[in-house]
Amino acid sequence: MRIFLRTIFDKTFTIMTYLVVLMIVALLVIILGPMLSRGLSAVIFKDTIEFRKMQFALYNRGNQSRILQETKETNAFRQKIYQTIDKFKQGIDTEALTEKVRKIYREFGQQLRYKELPPEQFTILRTQAKEIRDKLETAFASQDKSEIASCINNVMQYRDDQRFKDTAADGFFKLALEFKNSVEKIDLSKHYLYVKSLQELESLITELLGPRPDEPLPSTAMNQFGATRWDIAQRILDKILWTEQWVEHKPNELLVKIKALRAEQFAGTDIEPLFSYIKDNIEEMLKPKAKFYWQYFIDDSTPGHYFGGVGPEILGTLLLTLLSMLFAVPIGIIAAAYLTECSSENLIIKIIRMCINTLAGVPSIVFGLFGLSFFVLFFLPLLGFPSKPCILAASLTLAILTLPVMIRASEEAIRSVPQTYKEASLALGAGKFKTFMKVTMPAALPGILTGIILSLSRVAGETAPVLFTGAVALGPMPSSIFHSTRTLSYGSYDMAVGDRIAMMVPHNQYGMVATLVILILCLNIMAIVVRSRMFRKLHGH
Amino acid sequence: MINANLNQVPEATADAGSQPLLLTYSQDIRGFLSFHIGRTALFIVTCTSVLSVLLIFSFIFIEALPFLAKFSLLEFLTSKAWYPEAQSPQFGALALIVGSIYVTVTAMIFSVPVGIFAAIFLSDIVSFEIRNIVKPVIELLAAIPSVAYGFFAVMVMAPWMQQKLGFSTGVNALNASFVLAVMALPTIISVAEDSMSAAGRELREASYGLGATRVETMFKVVIPSAHSGIIAAVILGMMRAIGETMVVWMASGNASQIPHPWWDLSQSIRTMTATIAGDMGETAKGSNHYRALFTVGLLLLVMTLCLNIVSEYLLSRTAKKSGKSK
Repeated sequence: MRIFLRTIFDKTFTIMTYLVVLMIVALLVIILGPMLSRGLSAVIFKDTIEFRKMQFALYNRGNQSRILQETKETNAFRQKIYQTIDKFKQGIDTEALTEKVRKIYREFGQQLRYKELPPEQFTILRTQAKEIRDKLETAFASQDKSEIASCINNVMQYRDDQRFKDTAADGFFKLALEFKNSVEKIDLSKHYLYVKSLQELESLITELLGPRPDEPLPSTAMNQFGATRWDIAQRILDKILWTEQWVEHKPNELLVKIKALRAEQFAGTDIEPLFSYIKDNIEEMLKPKAKFYWQYFIDDSTPGHYFGGVGPEILGTLLLTLLSMLFAVPIGIIAAAYLTECSSENLIIKIIRMCINTLAGVPSIVFGLFGLSFFVLFFLPLLGFPSKPCILAASLTLAILTLPVMIRASEEAIRSVPQTYKEASLALGAGKFKTFMKVTMPAALPGILTGIILSLSRVAGETAPVLFTGAVALGPMPSSIFHSTRTLSYGSYDMAVGDRIAMMVPHNQYGMVATLVILILCLNIMAIVVRSRMFRKLHGH
Repeated sequence: MINANLNQVPEATADAGSQPLLLTYSQDIRGFLSFHIGRTALFIVTCTSVLSVLLIFSFIFIEALPFLAKFSLLEFLTSKAWYPEAQSPQFGALALIVGSIYVTVTAMIFSVPVGIFAAIFLSDIVSFEIRNIVKPVIELLAAIPSVAYGFFAVMVMAPWMQQKLGFSTGVNALNASFVLAVMALPTIISVAEDSMSAAGRELREASYGLGATRVETMFKVVIPSAHSGIIAAVILGMMRAIGETMVVWMASGNASQIPHPWWDLSQSIRTMTATIAGDMGETAKGSNHYRALFTVGLLLLVMTLCLNIVSEYLLSRTAKKSGKSK
């Protein structure tokens, strides 16, 4: 029995270790899966006509005549929406109507003044026009249909008056007729509700289709275009069709979120059929097409990464990593060579080793502080360069950060070269230096290469050390190493936490971090492959 | 001298007809000098790392010194009031220190058992082939940059926690600790696995020979024998967690407070690293606040240095032990 229990216990333990490892692998998948898959959607997605317009306007990319043709086709379908809304607005938008009436009244007054009428007639006309104006305003503000009808009728009496013919006052009558027609179908008691709902609907439609063709273009790029991606268009369509409301389901309970058709807000009006029209014709209005947007990796972006890609970030990351490798690789290899080939284990070497280990343990943010206080505020001014965060300071900081990785990897690689190689070379009469350069180095090269690749991936992903030494969230492309730059790592941070505009474009948030992760994973996989090859070679398989 | 001679001999023998085998004095001195000058140059380059460490310590210390002279260190370490930009600024870093320790310890509670189990799996349970597949996968976990972990914490974990666990905020101590635990796992696993493998076949075989099962062998023989390496693994994991910036900055909520009650992980906290990263951008160079941040950095540096020394001591002990058993 005891043995049985022990076996059971043993088996459970074994299974548990399997489960733990499976869990770790699952964690890796959970962390990387959404990041990579959603990041991929920044590059491969269904675009819309708005995307093509944006690409042409911002990057001068695409076929102009085809875009114009498509714009024409889509505008034909969009026109109906604008017309319906405008017509409905005639009966709803009291403020705009009042404004119009006042404008007509002012114009009429101006015209009168130039006609050189006798003073009495002038006064009469003026008073009548004022009366018309007031009547119309009452009608616009009223919620009672009979009152409106009487007001309009009153106004219409003046229509045949010769004195008003061919003057600005014609506008009064036109407006009155239009208003009469449009209020017929509207429940005026809901007047204010309509105004509010209509405003919401209009802003959503602008989000979906962009500004109207006859409107002036907004100044910021993000407002100049509608939904550039089909998935965003779908989301906005959903928002157009449905409203979310928080209602009290039962008293003394939490509010419950329910979805309701937005069309219900406009029940019985001309707007109601518009919803099914939008739903049925959204493809004609936006013309979705599958798109492989490889330029994502070279394009600059608009503020907040609303449009565009990660070109400057990739360039900045590459500059930083390569420059820091330029410093770290020679120093790392030389130090490793000295530690393995030239020295016996004495006190000085022990101190050097301890320092390397300490350096490896220094938190990355402390490297950032050090880079700021030493390179930016002390070292650069010492050499006569401006004392501000720049690529040079950041890459020097990163070089020191990655030095221990470089030294350890190279040391391991040099040590793993079989002693017999060196002995054979020495026996042939080569000197120590020659042996190292001609025999040990070539044999250790794959290992050193692995070290270089691993430090590259470490440097590319570091954020904290470059925070104060050379990375910025927004800025122009760097023109020299004395400018600060955008980097993928800091960009990922900024888009996830700092940037309000970026929150609206999750595909670009994920796209940035996925670019960084893919870059680093590729480097690491490369390192693993190189290492396994070297392992096989050295062990003679 | 001998080395220098060795350098010259093959040349002399190659065209033995024209040159004498013996070196002239100038050749001899040249060889001697080039050997020693070359060696010294290599030594100087090697000392870059020593120089870097010295520079890091001295520059952080120099920047922190005016603060230490002006304010009391005791108050810095014991006061909870961190109001650096107030009218009469207060620099009490206790909440930050506690925050750092808090997330680190919680992360270790998650990752140590998992890490040790995974290390046992790699060192004692699976075959060499499977181990060669699983190890790179775990190394990939270490390769993912910290900002990507932070991104995961903010964009995936935080909404999930808010919706599924009903926390008032998604960015809290639990979120940060969990992600830190995942980040510390690869370090813990690889160091613990190394020390368990170093415990040697003989111990295991003796134990199996006495009729012990695998779990008994592991927990009564191998782990006690490898304990110093395992503790070093935990300490290295702690160093990774305590020095981590981006994850805690993004995922811990950045509220300078000590959780109350103390076990409530769903509250926001703020760590030392996040404070430096978050505040440094807004301070004027040379102000009290700026110096205070350098003092926090100095404290962090000292803490990691101590942990580093302990782990080195423990690892050198394992190295000695395995050396003896061979």
